[in-house]
Amino acid sequence: MLGIPLKYNVRNLFVRKVTTTLTVLGIALVVAVFLCVMALGEGLTRVFTASGSEKNVLVLRQNSQSELQSGLGRDQIPLIRALPGIEKDADGKPLVSAELVVVLNLDKRDGGSSNVTIRGVEEKGMALRPQMKLTEGRPFVPGTSEVIVAESVAKRFKGAEVGQEIRFGAYRWKVVGHFDAGGTAPDSEIWTDSEGMLNTFQRGGFSSVLARTTDRAARDQFIAGVAGDARLALEGKVERTYYDDQTSTAAPIKFLGFFVGIVMAIGACFGAMNTMYAAVSSRTREIATLRALGFSRLSILFSFVLESIALAFIGGVVGCALAFLLVKVALSGVTGTTNFATFAEVVFAFRLTPQLLLTGIVFSLVMGFFGGLFPAGRAAFTKITAALRQVG
Amino acid sequence: MKLLPLVLKNLLRKKTRSLLTIGSIVLPLFVICILGTLLRALEADPSGGKGMYRLIVRHKVSITNWLPGAYDPKIRNLPGVVETLRMNWFGGSYIDQSAKNQFARFSTSDADRLLKVFDEATVVEGSEAEWVNDRSGLLVGRQLMKRYGWKLGQKVAFKGDIYPITLELTIRAVFSAADESGVYFHHQAVEEALPRVKGFVGWYWLKTDSLAAAERVPKQIDAMFENSSYPTRSETEKEFQAMWVSMLGNVKLLVGSITTIIAIVILLIAANTMAMAARERVTEIAVLRVLGFTKEKILGLVLGESFALSVFGGALGLGLFVLLLPGFREGLVNSPMGAFGAGVRLFPEVLLLGFGVTVAVGLFAGLVPAIRSATRPITEGLRQVA
Repeated sequence: MLGIPLKYNVRNLFVRKVTTTLTVLGIALVVAVFLCVMALGEGLTRVFTASGSEKNVLVLRQNSQSELQSGLGRDQIPLIRALPGIEKDADGKPLVSAELVVVLNLDKRDGGSSNVTIRGVEEKGMALRPQMKLTEGRPFVPGTSEVIVAESVAKRFKGAEVGQEIRFGAYRWKVVGHFDAGGTAPDSEIWTDSEGMLNTFQRGGFSSVLARTTDRAARDQFIAGVAGDARLALEGKVERTYYDDQTSTAAPIKFLGFFVGIVMAIGACFGAMNTMYAAVSSRTREIATLRALGFSRLSILFSFVLESIALAFIGGVVGCALAFLLVKVALSGVTGTTNFATFAEVVFAFRLTPQLLLTGIVFSLVMGFFGGLFPAGRAAFTKITAALRQVG
Repeated sequence: MKLLPLVLKNLLRKKTRSLLTIGSIVLPLFVICILGTLLRALEADPSGGKGMYRLIVRHKVSITNWLPGAYDPKIRNLPGVVETLRMNWFGGSYIDQSAKNQFARFSTSDADRLLKVFDEATVVEGSEAEWVNDRSGLLVGRQLMKRYGWKLGQKVAFKGDIYPITLELTIRAVFSAADESGVYFHHQAVEEALPRVKGFVGWYWLKTDSLAAAERVPKQIDAMFENSSYPTRSETEKEFQAMWVSMLGNVKLLVGSITTIIAIVILLIAANTMAMAARERVTEIAVLRVLGFTKEKILGLVLGESFALSVFGGALGLGLFVLLLPGFREGLVNSPMGAFGAGVRLFPEVLLLGFGVTVAVGLFAGLVPAIRSATRPITEGLRQVA
């Protein structure tokens, strides 16, 4: 079978400049909107998928879905520390941190307010989260109501610059430093020492205990140890799994992305179909000539579907470029939403991954395929004699 | 108006094209209306104005911190306060943790006063007295009763996550209100199972007697507890709801930008149709001009066609939206975001927005082709071979 060269189709696209441009722009915008919304969802998901280590175990009260709901008595901490499987730090101390989380309702810089997690940690809190780095100022001194704040929190909320003070009625916290946790969970938090926090909030116990285990076997042994001690009524979760369970926070955004994307794709597909029908009808004689020259119906069909796909592909590429520019330039800052599992704000950035860009391209090809199928069918079944006889 | 038959005839010449263009207006317009409704629903006040008279008093740090129950008499005695309620969030789970089984579970220490504050709710099944007098009684929203097919007198169990207990409660009454997606029960049931939580309150919910009081009382309450171990933040229910919306992030900007881009896409598709139609008719339009049609008439002819196309699509899109909205609301109310579903209704301003988009698309899509068709010299038009 002799195929019609692709050059024929591409040149035809360039002949009809206005129509091609309008159709390409339509498809491009649909792809760009889809990608931007999905990049938002992806950025939020990434906070959870990047957080938590396979070796860390988070100990919570049984049935608690989040640290905020959990509670551990002070007396339970030594029992957990004594369990086997915990790794020792270079200084010989076990890598364990009993922590307290409270959410603070802070005012946002752009108006409104949101809850931010304030986390009290013990000495090894930072060592348990190796992604964390201090970027400004110094660490807090335990027992002094000093806090360090995530850079992205400082960008979104008032009063969190180094040297400023966060005030709540009788409570005062002095901000002494900023940190960065490489896009993981602590990037949405404020940190201080847990003993001090117990005093401030007059709490009798902690929220959770985070422990590093030496290896997989030790981890399983530690988790079994927590579950096995009936006095504790606690459970150990692999930290990784704990955060994985929270990825559903991004579900509404992704749903919005798919809903808008798919409905708009159908709309754009209709637009492409219009363009292709016009292309076919203005080339009726040309098509009949091709048929008379011996090109088969199948190669005509194939050729026009290809033309439509090429049209949509240009749209897809432009859309990806548009989304890329938008995310890099206009949406490069951090944004936030509330994770209702922890009742607190998650700060995150838009994230346009290569896979998403690829999805955008595939998305446009699908639009092109369906947009081209019926017009191509009409082209393939052109009656040769009638079409050749037809004038202009 | 004499041109109308000609405009309609022109639309019918390429039926497939007209249908596809209308189709590509209908669906995006439907999405615009749904997004607009969601945005309005977020800002809507499901209490129907009553929320302006009600206050929420919570711990200043955040709603997840407890307040002492002993604040109750102090708040109650303030002039302008009609009724107070001590409220708690039980949370927990029913059947399992999955999203489809999420709904609000509240407990109150003052069951007898609940319907005095939450006064837009009316008991439609069972009786208030039966619920108030049964410490393990449950007051259920009508929507939720329907969703689970519960019956009056049935026992349901909630497993706690904040409170390490499981409560078994008996349905004693069903209420009807704008938001029917929650349940209420006695906090005494929680305290009996877990004595150590006695005396603590999640937040106070109160009713004031006037708008002036609703503005004055929050400041008085916050000043009263400013330097205590449990400082408060008081605000009207309306402001409190606005805080939840603000916690979701910049939804307004996100949805607003999506809506704008969708409108542009519709415009591009319609403009393409009109450009194609005008180009195919260059010769024909020149003939019309020769026959005596003025430039203005040609302008009206092309613009009219674009307008008719867009209005057909718009009417269908709005019709589809009005038709599907009750189903959409039903779906949303039964989802984990049920509380937002309560605010969903047919907002006239959303229809107006849809109509505005339609008119703008009709106008702008036809503008360039219309001007070009009207101003093209007749001779050039006649010379052109399609």
